[in-house]
Amino acid sequence: MIPFHTLSQRHTVYAFCAVWILQFGYGIWLARQWKKTKQ
Amino acid sequence: MTTLRKSNGPLPAWARAYFVLCFAMLAIAFYKAMTAPTEATMGNLYRVFFYHFPHAIESYIFPYLNCGASLLFLYWRKNSPEKAAKADAFAVASAELTVLYVSVGLATGTIWGRAAWGIWWAWDARMTTYLLLWLLYVSYILLRGVSASGQTSVISAVLAIFAAIDIPICFMSIRWWRTQHPAPVFGGDPDAGIDHSMLPAVFWNLAAWALWGAGILALRYAIERRRQRAYAAEALAYTEVQA
Repeated sequence: MIPFHTLSQRHTVYAFCAVWILQFGYGIWLARQWKKTKQ
Repeated sequence: MTTLRKSNGPLPAWARAYFVLCFAMLAIAFYKAMTAPTEATMGNLYRVFFYHFPHAIESYIFPYLNCGASLLFLYWRKNSPEKAAKADAFAVASAELTVLYVSVGLATGTIWGRAAWGIWWAWDARMTTYLLLWLLYVSYILLRGVSASGQTSVISAVLAIFAAIDIPICFMSIRWWRTQHPAPVFGGDPDAGIDHSMLPAVFWNLAAWALWGAGILALRYAIERRRQRAYAAEALAYTEVQA
């Protein structure tokens, strides 16, 4: 488990969260586009 | 079997299974990153490397795919319109994936830099050329989004070819010049590298994010093909009404 006390620990958590937000945010947007472009 | 490319309904079962496999691999890769031994100097902060490195490496592959698709589009556009449309759709998909993977590389790099160096950014050769790569592909997407010209695909294909020149410069920058960015971990000096116990986390993350990237690239390509077909059908209906 990563603790959240020091700046480096916090920034490790921020970095991982940034990746998930960007990647899965784009994935969700694509899933919505897939439904939207249904013919 | 329904291919993703031709499917007009919900995501085919095999595609859903593929994404389930992606999530399983991403979960294992995350577990490997969290359970790898703690690094002696940086402590837990070095774990950012397990996400930063695969995204940075894979962000150099998508622009080449974009460049290749753009060249094929220019080659086919007069004699094989259907093939050219497919190449154009692939170029759009790979450009978006470039922006996504470079964005992740930039975000993880700056967050790591703030904690490791005390600064968010340094205008060294690697970071500047990497930011340039991001700006080039953002401008590619903006060009495609805002241009009303009938030549948008041609203009963006030419831009894609020139944008690809930045990739080898960016990749080699940490070998050619002294930079704030760390020297290459793999393929650098003989004494560079990481402990063998940390390698499974690197390779799992490389594989998992590559698999995920290939999946969303295919999905984005399929969406673009659907849009092209809808646009062609709309144009045909309009022509029939006019006639």
